[in-house]
Amino acid sequence: MTFLEALSAGFTLVAQWESIFFLGLGVTIGVIAGAIPGMSATMAVALTLPFTFALQPIFGILLLLGVYKGGIFGGSIPAILIKTPGTPASSATALDGYPMAEQGRAGEALSMSLYASCIADLISNLALIVFAAWLASFALNFGPPEMFTLIVFSLTIIAGVSGDSLVKGIVAAGLGLMLATIGLDFIAGTERLTFGSIDMRGGLNFIAVLIGLFALPEIISYMRKSEAQDHRVRGMGYSRLKWLDFRRCLKSIFRGSAIGVFLGAIPGIGAAPSAFLSYSEARRASPNRENFGKGELEGVAAAEAGNNGVAGATLIPLLSLGIPGDVITAIIIGAFMVHNLTPGPLLFLNNADIVYALFIGLIASSLLLLIIGSIAIRLFRYIADVPSNLLFPGVLVLCVFGVYAVNNSIFDVAVMLVMGVVGYIMLLLRVPAAPFLIGFILGPMLENNFRQAMLMSRGDLSIFARGPITILFLCLTAFSVVMIIRATMRAARLKREMATYAKTSQASGTQD
Amino acid sequence: MLSRRDEILIGLGVMVLAAFTLWWIIPNFIATPRRVPIKALSPAFWPKIIAWVVLICGAALTLRAALAPKTPNAVADDLSVSRAEGLRLLALGAILVGIYFALPILGMVWVCMIAFALLLLLSGGGNLGWGLVTAVVLPLALYFFFTKVAGVAIPQGQIVRLP
Repeated sequence: MTFLEALSAGFTLVAQWESIFFLGLGVTIGVIAGAIPGMSATMAVALTLPFTFALQPIFGILLLLGVYKGGIFGGSIPAILIKTPGTPASSATALDGYPMAEQGRAGEALSMSLYASCIADLISNLALIVFAAWLASFALNFGPPEMFTLIVFSLTIIAGVSGDSLVKGIVAAGLGLMLATIGLDFIAGTERLTFGSIDMRGGLNFIAVLIGLFALPEIISYMRKSEAQDHRVRGMGYSRLKWLDFRRCLKSIFRGSAIGVFLGAIPGIGAAPSAFLSYSEARRASPNRENFGKGELEGVAAAEAGNNGVAGATLIPLLSLGIPGDVITAIIIGAFMVHNLTPGPLLFLNNADIVYALFIGLIASSLLLLIIGSIAIRLFRYIADVPSNLLFPGVLVLCVFGVYAVNNSIFDVAVMLVMGVVGYIMLLLRVPAAPFLIGFILGPMLENNFRQAMLMSRGDLSIFARGPITILFLCLTAFSVVMIIRATMRAARLKREMATYAKTSQASGTQD
Repeated sequence: MLSRRDEILIGLGVMVLAAFTLWWIIPNFIATPRRVPIKALSPAFWPKIIAWVVLICGAALTLRAALAPKTPNAVADDLSVSRAEGLRLLALGAILVGIYFALPILGMVWVCMIAFALLLLLSGGGNLGWGLVTAVVLPLALYFFFTKVAGVAIPQGQIVRLP
């Protein structure tokens, strides 16, 4: 299939009312879920996944991508109006968004947040279209050793940046990899860690594991504390975004989008670091840098651009290499798998129509986000009023139905419940769940490539340094480990200094 | 930020888990063929590698926590559970276990309705009217979506059956 043939086939798939309907529905669900304090874009995508099984692949995947995009923007609404970021990445938006709301400029902040999000999203989608096909054609040359070293590199980054400790991240990834070994061995055909259970012979269901890990711990946390949260919603105010103000922020928006695209394309980094880096770069370069943190419009623009610039770019490693860049793309990979589509370089050869339909749909999603987002801003007061004691039981019911529907299996419901408890314990012990899930997803691929490489070399480990690509990935892994350890040590030193300071001030307070 | 004691316990826990996997679970629950041409192709090889990595990381966690200066109580996060929280967690655990065992008997719709109502009561019982309406409507709506639209056979149970 030539490029033009694939593009026209993609257009044919998207040019159906159902495509636009499901994309719009997804954006709406995402914006609402992102705007509800306590819900997150991740939880929304995970809970929507089971509803896509009955849909055609393109509609299901567009629905999920819509939820993803809407969820990322939706998180900024409560960040600005009630200083409660709907997603971790929206924390940077709250730094200037909430002070603006306090000054009666919430409408201005929300409009800027929406426009910055849509522009960054569009730039990110264009980057995806340009780079994904190129990277996929390059990745066609990858053999098992190259894929193995690439996955090891991705897992290292994910383990390092997901929590505050690289070692805990590696432990989480290791536990995820171990869980992925459950089932029948694909070479010898013997049972591995099934404990004699027939249900476990096929391995653990990925959707049950992910919903258990990411939705249930929130329910358990809420039920443990069960405190009514008092959200003081700020009014929209009377100030409107002026063209001149928008124009002076454009530079920060484009810079933030570029940062988002770059960081989003690296597996594991995610939206939060991108939003904060974009924010700090805007503050460094801005002539109004002293206003940052006190209600500077450029701060909102930069944070939202950095946050949303990641959205399309995280799909680059997913579509071209089959490697999820973060938890949400790990869930989206599930939708591909359910519809018998395997993300990776071969997807561009075997299902080019779907790939191009997704690209066109993503461009349309930026426009839909602009329309739906502007409506959601006005309706936020009603969205934020959903009581938590109705929300969380509802989420549990959705989880039970959704997980059962995957395989018509009550065993999967049990897996979800157990994983929920595991996820809650990990949350308490500050062990990040993202490396666990991504280790679980990439586990079979990692092991398969390792064993294929061993077969090729007849057990000689030097095959993992056989060429420039494997050497590059090994060097990148070593480099990232060094950088993560340096960053962790610096953070630990800072924490120790803070602890010493707290201790000293406590002691002086006692003396006084 | 957890206290030094908690971090040491986490490290030791990880080490115990890895050692248990390495020396009891893998030998007993992974069937390996008698002759494997290349050692790396054995079904137990990969799980052993992972368990060793986790064991080493557990040792690193313990060592790092043991060598780090003590975190003042004012800064360290408290992992202790109050009596009221413990009781709520126990009740939640009972509801979750109950969901699993009641599913084949009562069916998914009725179990979800009861679980919703119980969680509502567990969280203080606010918005009771709306909550009870949602407890009935949400599982029914999901039942009709999955059975009639998605074609999934939702378990009906042995007592009351839905159309």
